[in-house]
Amino acid sequence: MKVLQIDDLSKSFRGHEVLKNMSLAVEKGEVIAVIGPSGSGKTTLLRCAAMLENADGGSINIGGIPVLANGVYAAKNVLKQARGKCGMVFQGFNLFPHMSVLKNIIDAPVHVAGVPPKDAVAEAMRLLEKMELADHAEAYPCELSGGQQQRVAIARALALHPEILFFDEPTSALDPELTQGVLQVIRALAEENMTMIIVTHEMDFAEMVADRIIFMADGVVVEDGPAAQIIHNPANERTKAFIAGLKAVC
Amino acid sequence: MSVLRAPGVRVNMIQGVFVLRKIKSLFVVAAVFLFSLAAFAEGRRFAVGFDANFPPYGYVKDGKYCGFDLDLAREVARRNNWKIELKAINWDAKDSELNSGMIDCIWNGFTINGREHAYTWSDPYVVNEQVVMVRKNSSVKKLSDLRQLNVAVQTDTPVQKALSDGGERSKLGKTFKKLIVAPDYNNAVMMLESGSVDAVAMDIGVAKEKMKNGGFRILDEIIMTENYGIGFRKGDTALRDAVQNTLLEMAADGTAAQISAKYFDGENKMALGKISGNRKNSEVVDSENKVRLFSVVSELFSGLGVSVLIFVLTLLFALPLGLLVAWGRMCGNRFVSTIFRCFISVMRGTPLMLQLLVWFFGPYYIFGIQLSKLSLWGVDYRFIAVIIGFSFNYAAYFAEIYRGGIESVAQGQYEAACVLGYSRMQTFFRIILPQVVKRILPPMTNEIITLVKDTSLAFSLSVLEMFTIAKQIASATASMMPFVVAGVFYYVFNFLVAAAMSAIEKKLNYYR
Repeated sequence: MKVLQIDDLSKSFRGHEVLKNMSLAVEKGEVIAVIGPSGSGKTTLLRCAAMLENADGGSINIGGIPVLANGVYAAKNVLKQARGKCGMVFQGFNLFPHMSVLKNIIDAPVHVAGVPPKDAVAEAMRLLEKMELADHAEAYPCELSGGQQQRVAIARALALHPEILFFDEPTSALDPELTQGVLQVIRALAEENMTMIIVTHEMDFAEMVADRIIFMADGVVVEDGPAAQIIHNPANERTKAFIAGLKAVC
Repeated sequence: MSVLRAPGVRVNMIQGVFVLRKIKSLFVVAAVFLFSLAAFAEGRRFAVGFDANFPPYGYVKDGKYCGFDLDLAREVARRNNWKIELKAINWDAKDSELNSGMIDCIWNGFTINGREHAYTWSDPYVVNEQVVMVRKNSSVKKLSDLRQLNVAVQTDTPVQKALSDGGERSKLGKTFKKLIVAPDYNNAVMMLESGSVDAVAMDIGVAKEKMKNGGFRILDEIIMTENYGIGFRKGDTALRDAVQNTLLEMAADGTAAQISAKYFDGENKMALGKISGNRKNSEVVDSENKVRLFSVVSELFSGLGVSVLIFVLTLLFALPLGLLVAWGRMCGNRFVSTIFRCFISVMRGTPLMLQLLVWFFGPYYIFGIQLSKLSLWGVDYRFIAVIIGFSFNYAAYFAEIYRGGIESVAQGQYEAACVLGYSRMQTFFRIILPQVVKRILPPMTNEIITLVKDTSLAFSLSVLEMFTIAKQIASATASMMPFVVAGVFYYVFNFLVAAAMSAIEKKLNYYR
């Protein structure tokens, strides 16, 4: 069963075409890493899939709900339904600074999904336990390290039980020594068969956690294949050059 | 070398210092020159303080000061070879002006009655009547018809004193529904015209002047007569005698009659030397006029209640209204946002006092609605107009503060809320607004403190709040003390406001 199906998606910003008729299908339980040079449209792809950005054309189907069909968006209530099926983790965490860690996690379940507060708290504590942050439930985001904040953001997204989770460079804003905790959490989610699309620059991590890697450039998918193959044996010249460039830096 | 330079022209340091020195020495020379001019100038300075809204005694016509009293003063100065300075003063500050030497006398339809001991008086020179003016179509024919009606008077006038408790016509005053104290005659007459009051008790001279506009009628029955004199600084008998003797000459040779004829349709009002028994010995200290701190404090305290009420109600309405305006201003619809942009522009670009007058008199002058019919739940429309005026004005300022706060919240907050499924309303009230509140507290504190002080503007619609009462006591007692007390009250009020705001700020300090 496909959790996400994107066909011929296009998007331009002020005449500049960022996505050019790109297509992508994600099976349930699949973990996909999206790599590519900056400006290749990775983040725009994610933002269109998460309905933060309106695409200009193409189709998007999330968990069986037709969000966008040939460039026409569905009615508001349909979009709302689809929204409940996807979660997103941002590069800059975007936690709500005026809410405690616990409140950040339970606020949407209680006020958007209508979960009884008691249940929401129990679920939040379970998630925090998993993130090894149970001691920080009453802390405020500003009191946490970046890595801890990102883990809270992941817990917040998970609390709504999404069918697919989007990660937009989840470790790019973190100091190197803080990335490990976040990556471990994502790996644990992969082992639980969480469907995920991760935009990342961490090649080792991508290879380790992803089933498939997609290399994007200039708004199109250049190469799409098993993780090990893309990293160690890319077919396309551009992919080769990109991977080689990254290795040279390391 | 030119001192003024076009922008962009570089002046090197040495040259700059030289220019500065040159300016300095120029100043010294100029100052010495001016002082010596003053010292050797022939004749003394004669500074006459007057209320420029008091026709036909003193007013502005074609940009020039004229009037019966001012022409008399000019002639007196000319005959004595004095250099006259006509100073249109704030009537509330007349005693400070006089006592501090800024003016030498108050000469402008200045009533002796009730103020006998506050000044060194000339002999009375005009007998004046205090009359009642009503609308032409009014059913009021005599003073007893004023029972249960609203009557306006100008603040700090003898007729106000007379009609108030303890005054010589307080019995008449008690029959009125309400005695409304207007900031000036024009305001009182506008209230009469717009139906906000039923009658105005005023000087006959001013009343006749206003009658020229039509639409009004003066009752035959008068409230009282009073004598006009020239008020000098206490003890300044030398100047008083000089002025009075010149005036007597002018009365004798017909000059005064000529001036009078010009302003009173040929009538000779000059009665210097013909009125007896009204000039009392000003050297007697009148205990009645002594200021008692306790009574000042208690009177101001009652006015403070009104100030606080205006303050609280304004905040109550302006805070949510400002949010609405901010929304309209940031609305994606160009038409809506332009309307709100204009609203903010007008509210911030015109004086609040003017806005208050428009809110109050607008319904009559624009739509012809009698203001007396506009009271809501028994609350006088003038108070409602004050609250409306303040709320709209402050909403405009608050809106811009809100806007700044809302725009400063990172886009990521909206995106996170969107992905989590919050509706637009929920996003605003649960996520954005709490963060905005924290951010805008410092500028809000500024604005709210300004509001405390602005409450005194309610006086332009004759709402008696604290500062108005302070002004009234001050002018009735010729003392600055009520102002000091009022200042202390405002300070304490603002101190509490600032303390409350910083407490809220502290409370919101749990996050960054």
